[in-house]
Amino acid sequence: MTESKSGNKSLSLGLLVVGAAMMGFALVLDVVGIRVGYRGPLLIAGALAVLAGLYFYPTIEHHRGIINFIFLFPLLFTFTVTVIIPMALGIGYSFTDWNGVKVNNYVGLANYTSMFKDPAFIWSIVLTFLFVIVNMILVNVIGFLLALLCSSKIRGTDFYRASYFLPNLIGGIVLGYIWQFIFSNVLIKLTASAFGMRNSLLSNSKTAFIAIIIVYIWQYAGYIMLIYITGLSTVPKDVLEAASIDGADAKTTLFKIKIPMIASTITICTFLTLTSAFKQFDVNMALTNGTGSVKFLGKTLSNGTQMLALNIYNTAISKNNYALGQAKAVLFFIILAAVSIIQVRISNSKEVEM
Amino acid sequence: MRKFVALGMALLMTASLALTGCGSSEPATSGGQASGSTEAAASSGGAAIRLVNNKVEIDAALKDLAAKYKDETGVEVTIESLGGGVDTQATLKGYYQAGNMPDIFVIEGDKDYPTWEGNLADLSGMEWTKDTDNGYAVDGVMYGFPTTTEAIGLAYNKSILDACGVDPESITSPAAMKAAFEAVDAKKDELGLTAVLGYCAEASQLYWSTGQHLFGTYIDEGLARDDTTYIDLLKDGGKLDDARIAEWAKMVQLFNEYSDPDLLVSGTYDQQVLNFTSGKYAFVTQGSWIGATMTDADHKDAYAEAGNFECGMAPYAFIDGQDTILTNTPNWWAVYKDGNVDEAKKFLEWCATNEGGQQILVEQCGFVSPYKSCSFVASDPFAQTIVDHTAAGKTSAWHWLSMKDGIGQNATGVVFQDFAAGNYTIDEFVETLKEVIEAYYAS
Repeated sequence: MTESKSGNKSLSLGLLVVGAAMMGFALVLDVVGIRVGYRGPLLIAGALAVLAGLYFYPTIEHHRGIINFIFLFPLLFTFTVTVIIPMALGIGYSFTDWNGVKVNNYVGLANYTSMFKDPAFIWSIVLTFLFVIVNMILVNVIGFLLALLCSSKIRGTDFYRASYFLPNLIGGIVLGYIWQFIFSNVLIKLTASAFGMRNSLLSNSKTAFIAIIIVYIWQYAGYIMLIYITGLSTVPKDVLEAASIDGADAKTTLFKIKIPMIASTITICTFLTLTSAFKQFDVNMALTNGTGSVKFLGKTLSNGTQMLALNIYNTAISKNNYALGQAKAVLFFIILAAVSIIQVRISNSKEVEM
Repeated sequence: MRKFVALGMALLMTASLALTGCGSSEPATSGGQASGSTEAAASSGGAAIRLVNNKVEIDAALKDLAAKYKDETGVEVTIESLGGGVDTQATLKGYYQAGNMPDIFVIEGDKDYPTWEGNLADLSGMEWTKDTDNGYAVDGVMYGFPTTTEAIGLAYNKSILDACGVDPESITSPAAMKAAFEAVDAKKDELGLTAVLGYCAEASQLYWSTGQHLFGTYIDEGLARDDTTYIDLLKDGGKLDDARIAEWAKMVQLFNEYSDPDLLVSGTYDQQVLNFTSGKYAFVTQGSWIGATMTDADHKDAYAEAGNFECGMAPYAFIDGQDTILTNTPNWWAVYKDGNVDEAKKFLEWCATNEGGQQILVEQCGFVSPYKSCSFVASDPFAQTIVDHTAAGKTSAWHWLSMKDGIGQNATGVVFQDFAAGNYTIDEFVETLKEVIEAYYAS
């Protein structure tokens, strides 16, 4: 027994050393820029050897930990490569004057201070918050009303459910261009013949904002409706029956029984609409590309309908200021992280209550 | 047993993820190296180069060019066309970060040079540089290979102007332009025109037409090719010349007045070009590149129905005596320093000096050759007017190319739209334009 254990130990240590050496060699090859065909396979073989070495390591104490690590490794590795490393690099770039190709200078906090001096960016933040609040209310109200409609006893509810949900299956860019066509080519013909109005809704900041809200609700209300339908179907039948025996009418049943019973669904839907409205980008880009004039803080701005995500994109891509765009993205991350943390806190406390 | 299954699974998953992981991490760490695919191709079948083109409409023609080059030299040229709303420079930056740079790519002069400074190969002393004045050089070092010449001018339909008795040569003053518009307007119904002019100030898609090109006429119209007065003023904190901008604004107001009202504020590029092609407008505020669209498969029937009319360009004359159209090389082919420089240079040399190469570039791509020795003339409707103006020395340059990045999209485009929608008087238009430009240069 002890012999096999020591055999295991030397096997394990051997694998660990060989694996680490292979990985190290592959990485050195990469860093110094020698391009050989076996570099990738070498790295993988090294990683596998290290994992196998860990697996065979004879220990009772840490065995569970090692197994857990091996199982988590694929996910952790992918997460690190696609999220953690780019984010760390991004935060690093936000302190430089990176232009997408090279870094010339380290500029400290200059990007962060300059973005708050830019009225156009402040406007984008204000507009985004406005958009989030309006949408959070409207999408939920409309989604809930649709859910009531689709869970009532009228005929063909399945058809309605499918058709309200359908817009959610169309990608935002496609949907945005479809609606742009509707606003600029179809609706305009009607308004031109009716009131002689030849400018589409999208040509003015205020009406364009309304247009974006309409499209967003059309896209998102069906999805929220489905969640509400699920919520409504969990309300126990016996409670509803008892209420109707007690003489409660439809309105009382709705406000005193159904809505309180689906409070947790409302929380979920509220936060879903909140985070997704914050990240609004594709419809915004396809419909107006952020254009529109607006008077704000005594300045005339040209980005009247430009929300935060689009502002970040345009700063980097069209204004060719990658570092500033990166700094704005870091701020955007902080805002979204704060919202998500609040969401988790609230959901958890609700669950405890129930 | 179960233990081994578990181990096998774990290893399998790790292997598959490690493979994909490597795919994404490897190029990121080796940025600055030549592209792996190019190198693989190079080692397998002799030399090969890759060219990134930003005009998707000439993709097929460039592939013909590559095929011909391969026939003659055996060198494979891969054409990669970006287009349809793709930001070429952003894509190229992505390629750079991924270590996947092409050997030849497109730059737009002063705007993009700072980005690529230090990464471009020196093309000085090549044969073609002696045959053209339009190469892109910085401090005497040649970096950009010119392919074509494009023109910005007030494009017109010659048959309609003839029918209205307007001589396009006479449009060299605001009064003459106004008179021409009035003459066409009087005969509008008789000739079945929708409007005198197709001018579109829509800001979300067509900001470049107003914010860059039309504004560019303020910077360059009527000036000698090397005159940088107004662009220098603009670069100095976004300053505008009051007298000149006021005259120029009157021209924009005239356009608002005579343009097709259905196009003016909420129109599209397609609508604008199609209506001009179909002979519904006498003038259109687009440049020579619409020639390629007018003769493409989607438009050639409409163009034929309208009689394949002759096209030309008049100056955007907002001050008396302005008689130039704005011509320039819109972008240049540059060679990546760490790519296959020798083969790329040979290819460029061939494109410029070889008869067959020039023939494809001119006759199939519709390029107006910037090379003096080239004897081909494109069948493009606007090619002749560019050649004529160039021969007569009546051209100005495109100094607007060095305006601050994204100014049309992020600042000025909307101002034109609001002016067209009637939200501003002419004075407010000029004031707002000044304000947004100064703010844009300050930020």
